[in-house]
Amino acid sequence: MTNNLFIGRLFGPGIPGAGIAAGAAWEQSGRLRITTPDAGHSIRYAEQPSMTSGGFNAGGLRISWQDGEARWVFIVDAGEEQARCKTTAPPQINGQLNGVTREQNRLERRFKAGGALLAFFILLPLLLIVLFLANRESIAAWVVQRIPVTHEAHLGDLLLAQTRLQMKLIENGPDVAAIRTIGSKLTAGSVHRYRWFVAERPEVNAFAAPGGVVVVFRGLLNAAETPEELAGVLAHEVAHAELRHSLQGMVKSLGLRAAASMAFGDISDSVFTDAATRLTELRFSRDAEREADANGLQRLVAARISPEGMVHFYERLASEKRSSPPALLSTHPSSGERLEWLRREVAGLSGPWQPLQVGLGSNKY
Amino acid sequence: MAMDVIDYEIFGSEMQFVEVELDPGEAAIGEAGVMMYMQEGIQMDTVFGDGAQQTNGFMGKLLGAGKRLLTGESLFTTVFHNEGSVKQRVAFAAPYPGKIVPVQLTDIGGTLICQKDSFLCAAKGVSLGIAFQKKIGTGLFGGEGFIMQKLDGDGMVFIHAGGTLHERTLAPGETLRVDTGCVVAFQPSVDFDIQFVGKIKSAIFGGEGLFFATLSGPGKIWLQSLPLSRLANRIVMSAPTAGGRSADQSSLLGAGVLGGILGSDDK
Repeated sequence: MTNNLFIGRLFGPGIPGAGIAAGAAWEQSGRLRITTPDAGHSIRYAEQPSMTSGGFNAGGLRISWQDGEARWVFIVDAGEEQARCKTTAPPQINGQLNGVTREQNRLERRFKAGGALLAFFILLPLLLIVLFLANRESIAAWVVQRIPVTHEAHLGDLLLAQTRLQMKLIENGPDVAAIRTIGSKLTAGSVHRYRWFVAERPEVNAFAAPGGVVVVFRGLLNAAETPEELAGVLAHEVAHAELRHSLQGMVKSLGLRAAASMAFGDISDSVFTDAATRLTELRFSRDAEREADANGLQRLVAARISPEGMVHFYERLASEKRSSPPALLSTHPSSGERLEWLRREVAGLSGPWQPLQVGLGSNKY
Repeated sequence: MAMDVIDYEIFGSEMQFVEVELDPGEAAIGEAGVMMYMQEGIQMDTVFGDGAQQTNGFMGKLLGAGKRLLTGESLFTTVFHNEGSVKQRVAFAAPYPGKIVPVQLTDIGGTLICQKDSFLCAAKGVSLGIAFQKKIGTGLFGGEGFIMQKLDGDGMVFIHAGGTLHERTLAPGETLRVDTGCVVAFQPSVDFDIQFVGKIKSAIFGGEGLFFATLSGPGKIWLQSLPLSRLANRIVMSAPTAGGRSADQSSLLGAGVLGGILGSDDK
């Protein structure tokens, strides 16, 4: 009998309001025998008890019965005591006990479902942020595609004005004319109005600003041995401009907000000036470089200019041991991998190529 | 675990503090920042967690501290330990107007469920846990939120709440409808639920909100007459910066006009 005992708390008339601890055990008749630990270990019987779940979180098992006018409740302690109460119950009680278990389980299920829902709503902003960060590249690309050509040109003008302050730009003359000749072949069909400049600087470098501003440094003109080599570099730079790489870089560094304001109107000049400043300090990513290589190559092929020059030029720059690497290489990390790729691609191409007939660098060619 | 038996005395009427007497070697835990004064021999020690399980290892302590964060209490509990050779006293003050109520946990079966910041101090050995309200409706509209505090042990605990704290005993099956937010603590045998006020008209114009909290016996419950948030609302509403009326409440004809001109000492 004693191992069937389960502990709980008895509430009823003549008992302190907070109840007293008591033990109980089922009898085969379906009657509950309750022992209270007071002086005489008085015993009470619960005739025809009814079972409900109750108490905080419906976690308690309430066994209540009527004794004349008085109402009694025995609340079985949670955990093991409840389990023992349920397993030792006589068959006629089982139905009610199962009902209580179902009720308790239902509450638990609802709580878990509610908790999951709540957690979802709390985590939703976080999720959105993660999604946004994961898709930042494509969102940036999408925004960049929306920036109108006129704005791009405006940005190019500002950048040009800034460049003029830093270096002497030549707009006319035989060198510029030669570059323009090659360049116009490479940029055929572009929406931009290209402007070509030569900067009087010794570095082997060239850059293309948004809106079709291409600046070639004197050092590059001197380093290029054939017009095809120059064309290779120009094709690469033009590809950067046409693919709007600098705008993408700007979006990354300025933040999407500024780029979006540029794409959808609401622009002030400060946005442009700020953007232009950032552009001068810009470095392209490796992916952008690879993309520019591929696109530049396509442009060379489309213009029927031999891409061998591009390969040769890069090879020579990479192999030349200098105290400081040429600027073109430091800003365009021409890794062996990129060069390898270029060689493979070019090897697969076959002419006929039209040789370029232009004079460059004080008629070196 | 052996609980420390503590003697106490509550002072004051509306803004109370409780003075606890500690025998040599005894200790009490207090909510951080409620200590008012302590005598010489009492050593104050700050422990991470709730101070009940000192030997549970790092993870146990971390879990205890996490629970305390959830219930809106500070990460640390302060333990006041009598290191002297004579009885010493330490006092804990209630943080806002209201009553302090002592509850002997053994009398109610060892567990008390209470509002999440109503704990003031306790004998060392009482563990402070959280009790998740699993009834979604009650959690949302019952006025106490989803997280309540569970005080376990067999020592004395002191809880505090706003206004007058009222202890009631509910007989088996007896149900009391309570304004949401007024429930401070109850025995775990008590059913805590909500009930719609009944009529749309009452819900909108009755001023009692959409739901009542219902407490069904058997067991003891503790109610507060003035939840702090309600008091704070009234104070903010009548603050001059929030567009409230200035101090004098007298009638316009009486001291209103003249008093406003002559009797104002706050200008």
